[in-house]
Amino acid sequence: MLRKLLTAAAIVAIAAFSAGGAFAEGMTIRIATEGAYPPFNGKDAAGNLVGFDVDIANALCAEMKDQCTIVAQDWDGIIPGLVANKYDAIIASMSITDERKQSVDFTDPYYSNYLRVMAKTGSGITSIDDLAGKSVGAERSTVASQWAEDNLGRSSDVKLYDTQTAAYSDLTSGRLDAMISDIYPAYDWLQSNPGYEFVADKIDINDKIAIAVRKGDDKLREAFNAAIKAIRDDGTYAKINAKYFPFDIF
Amino acid sequence: MPQNVWSLLAFGDTGWGDELLAGASITVQLAIVSLACGLILGLILAFGRLSHWRALRWLTDVYIIFIRGTPEFLVLLLVFFGLDQVVHMAATGLGFQSGFEIPKFAAAVAGLSLIFGAYASEVFRGAYLAVPPGQIEAAMACGMSSSQVFRRIRLPQMWRFAIPGLTNLWMVLLKDTSLAAVIALDELLRQAKVASEATREPLLFYVSAGVLYLVLTGISDIVRHRLERSAQRGFAR
Repeated sequence: MLRKLLTAAAIVAIAAFSAGGAFAEGMTIRIATEGAYPPFNGKDAAGNLVGFDVDIANALCAEMKDQCTIVAQDWDGIIPGLVANKYDAIIASMSITDERKQSVDFTDPYYSNYLRVMAKTGSGITSIDDLAGKSVGAERSTVASQWAEDNLGRSSDVKLYDTQTAAYSDLTSGRLDAMISDIYPAYDWLQSNPGYEFVADKIDINDKIAIAVRKGDDKLREAFNAAIKAIRDDGTYAKINAKYFPFDIF
Repeated sequence: MPQNVWSLLAFGDTGWGDELLAGASITVQLAIVSLACGLILGLILAFGRLSHWRALRWLTDVYIIFIRGTPEFLVLLLVFFGLDQVVHMAATGLGFQSGFEIPKFAAAVAGLSLIFGAYASEVFRGAYLAVPPGQIEAAMACGMSSSQVFRRIRLPQMWRFAIPGLTNLWMVLLKDTSLAAVIALDELLRQAKVASEATREPLLFYVSAGVLYLVLTGISDIVRHRLERSAQRGFAR
């Protein structure tokens, strides 16, 4: 928390000084990603950046016919670095939030986060309504736990856990009938836990993930928007999507 | 452990051993260069505080209060991201085309030595004052000039008094290098984090990083012991 506050303070201080370089055509676009959030952006053992964000970044650059460099940058310094002109864009699975909008501008989303319900295969749960009277777990202080308490608090027995791992172990031991979580870590868990599956429809929580650019860098933002639309239309996006997930994540 | 520990820690393109060692090497380089710059800064600041000029004393006081009173992380953020902007503004103000960017390593060294210098100055000041006044008086009585007193009596003994405090600060510096991850320097802790996320074996990689830090501090302790012994020669216990 202290780090977060300090980072925010530094952003304000830097923005006050900032020369605010804007993107011009023919320039190399410098893109930052975190490199520690697989499968979206990570490093392989040879030290290369890999993942969905990296593939999308490369596809967008190819579409825009621009030279791009992608660098790894720790999460704590990722927005200050953008503001201080160390790079021009952040493609690092960053959710659009009002707080972040005060220091950076966002492009159109390039994927979305949803909540999903997981249960034992053949549990008979097929919709959110079927959760009535069942015990449903979620990690405390997350979007998932918030949603569960707001929407299932009356009808189901909602149990909150300090960690996602603790909730998983109660699901496998049978103390939980179902569990609610962000879709991507849940999908990841299902890969190594056969016998469990997604049930009911995905729950839209309006969590959109987009590219961050410096405030006022409209030219680059527009260029990214056009490129996102283009790779959606020509199938490039679907190909990259299919490499990581068997469902559309847009 | 689902996967073989040794294959995860292997060298080359399949394991993370070489990445961890490369991280440790950056950590050591950062710490040593920052130590050298910080020691010089610390000496200058110490003499600033001991100076006869009030303005100089006041200036160094303000600096030391600022650095010691703010978290290291904030100082580093300001240096890492602010210094560039200042240089950029100065350059464009003077009419230069500014494509200048401070190299990451230099920015990290600047930040870490600014912090180290502030703390070291207090150790040096304490060491300066720890030399018994009787010895200074005796030297003056022998007819030495004040610069001779400094060179022959104060400096050699200051070193002896300063070693314990400085080695302490060195240990802190060695671990503070992990803060340089915010400017994308791939030091030891950052490499451990990347590896643990990629392999989903956080315990293995954080423990490995911990062991490497312990090796580094262990070596430092041996060096400290030798330095202390050589500084103590001539002093019977």
